[in-house]
Amino acid sequence: MRSTRFQLLAALAAVFGLASLPGHAQMQPAADVQNARDLAIGVCGICHGPDGNSINPMFPRLAGQHAWYLKQQLEAFRDETRGDPYAVAYMWGMASGLSDATIDALAEYFAHQKTGPGTPHSASVLAKGKEIYEHGIPSQGLPACAVCHGPQALGDSMRPRLAGQHAEYILKQLASFKNNMRNVAVMHGVAGTLHDGQMKAVADYLESLP
Amino acid sequence: MRSCCFSRRVQPVWLARICALLLLCSVAAPAWAVPSFARQTGMACAACHTVFPELTPFGRMFKAAGYVLDNMKQVQAVNSRRQEMLELAKTPALSIMAQVSYTQLKTRLPDVSNPAAPGLTQKGTAGFPQQLSLFYAGKIAPHFGAFAQLTYANDSGTIGIDNTDLRFAWMKILPHKQTLLYGISLNNNPTVQDLWNSTPAFGFPYASSNAAVSPLAATEIDGTLAQDVAGLTAYAFWNEHLYLEGGVYRSAKQGQTDVLTGAAGPLDGSASNVIEGVAPYWRAAYEYDWSANSLEVGMYGANFKLHPGAALGSNTPLQGPDNRFNDVAEDFQYQYIGENNIISVEGTRIHEQMHLAASFGAGLASNPTDDLTTERLWGTYYYRRQYGGTLGWFSTTGSTDAGLYPAAAPGGPGVVTSANGSPDTRGFIGEVNYLPWLNVQLSLQYTHYMKFNGGTTNYDGLGRNASDNDTLYLLLWFAY
Repeated sequence: MRSTRFQLLAALAAVFGLASLPGHAQMQPAADVQNARDLAIGVCGICHGPDGNSINPMFPRLAGQHAWYLKQQLEAFRDETRGDPYAVAYMWGMASGLSDATIDALAEYFAHQKTGPGTPHSASVLAKGKEIYEHGIPSQGLPACAVCHGPQALGDSMRPRLAGQHAEYILKQLASFKNNMRNVAVMHGVAGTLHDGQMKAVADYLESLP
Repeated sequence: MRSCCFSRRVQPVWLARICALLLLCSVAAPAWAVPSFARQTGMACAACHTVFPELTPFGRMFKAAGYVLDNMKQVQAVNSRRQEMLELAKTPALSIMAQVSYTQLKTRLPDVSNPAAPGLTQKGTAGFPQQLSLFYAGKIAPHFGAFAQLTYANDSGTIGIDNTDLRFAWMKILPHKQTLLYGISLNNNPTVQDLWNSTPAFGFPYASSNAAVSPLAATEIDGTLAQDVAGLTAYAFWNEHLYLEGGVYRSAKQGQTDVLTGAAGPLDGSASNVIEGVAPYWRAAYEYDWSANSLEVGMYGANFKLHPGAALGSNTPLQGPDNRFNDVAEDFQYQYIGENNIISVEGTRIHEQMHLAASFGAGLASNPTDDLTTERLWGTYYYRRQYGGTLGWFSTTGSTDAGLYPAAAPGGPGVVTSANGSPDTRGFIGEVNYLPWLNVQLSLQYTHYMKFNGGTTNYDGLGRNASDNDTLYLLLWFAY
């Protein structure tokens, strides 16, 4: 079982057949971690980037995201409780065969990847986005995003990291919160308050953060 | 092989090529997205396709990985050493695809069914179905998957093997988090195994009428040998960037028997255009992705030595002089895959050099050497994967050769002949598409010929103009 050949087979099984992972979860944790790393690079990495820094804004950046949040989302995909369009089309299938141990290992892998430098945007857009992020829009009853997500948008043990995320992805999520395709009460309220231009400014600001 | 009726004046060696081209139009062109992949992976069509059959970057990786990524419950077996001996999906990866079509030619064709009573054909033809296919598309065992198609076509009225690609694939994680996908493809159509839609087997038009008039000339790699060969190629795809492939093809005739034994082989002089030994095939491509964009540039080619055999007009042993075709092609593909908008621009240029010792010696080619170049360029736009269209340009030019591209016999009927011996053909294809669901497509396609078999007007010497072959094609295309 511990032969190189088996490890290769296990890795390939992980890469090519997610359904086979629960069986491999019985192996030692080190093998799980190795399999999850291979899975992360070889399968998840096709869209999300091998180190979680995706280049296509359709797919979120996972590098540096909190492990608890990644785990929660993978479980929501596996349990089919997160219902935004891309979750349904891509992640319900991708996550359906993941074991708890593999989810844990994948979450840890991406949480420990180095984040990128942020994407530049025009100063005027960033100023507008920063203002909304840090101070909210009192006239619209919008609280500051920073209150929950932190001054640098790094998140914490209860809220996800937003810094460096693709602006296009953030906009898609705000739209999904707004129409309750992602059912998060707090964010439904926030997204319902923002106008399109304000959403764009905040999303661009977040994308610019390292 | 499917039968096809054609002008008796066309030389046998080219009759076989024309038939193969028609076969391509009727069978190979509708190469498909397959719902069994979606069932197997649990992922919607959109993960692997912009709109079928064009592949996304993820779709390319899925194909290179051997069609084996799956999320289905498996029937498994292990031996006493805990080696996996079986991993079988509980649901077979089967799909059915149908095409229902209506084709209307701009100008009627001569009706040659009764030489004693010449007339004109109907203008329009309904295909119900034009084509009906059964696929096994998905994992067979770990590292072993298939895209295999069995097709009924209304022109032949029979069921036959269609595009098939069996793959054995592995992945290795390299240092610095790079990936190396590598494997072997066993397939029956050069380029059917390719990952980009700029190469012939999965290129535009993705579906076309089998009731239209096709030009005389096509290069060998451009579908002429589709479903007529068996190829074994090895490939490697490094880090989603560099793709290299090499392999060989050998003739694998369908419906062909040895005259002496009545068995499926060895092939003898009753077979047409048989590959001498093996034909090498090669492919190199580089893809660069940024933001929602993807750009690929590449080259591919093959070298075929063909014994004409029966294509010389009578059964001829598969020895002696042969015809050699060296195909070298360039291709590119650009994709922008956005949330609402998808844009693709693709193109290829195939250049073929022919050394026709066999045909020239038999008087079926006017020149010992010829060349032929086919170029295609097309752009596609889709809005939310639901409404879209494609505009494509095509051109074939080559040596004038009255043997290869013969004139009509005195009295006609022409149409599939060339008055000046030139293969030159060019035109546009415009297509609009509507997909009410991701697996159902309605298409309206119009093909306009500016030049056909060497001429714009009176190209066959009997008064037919290139634009008389313009074709309107209405298609309902679905798979489940």
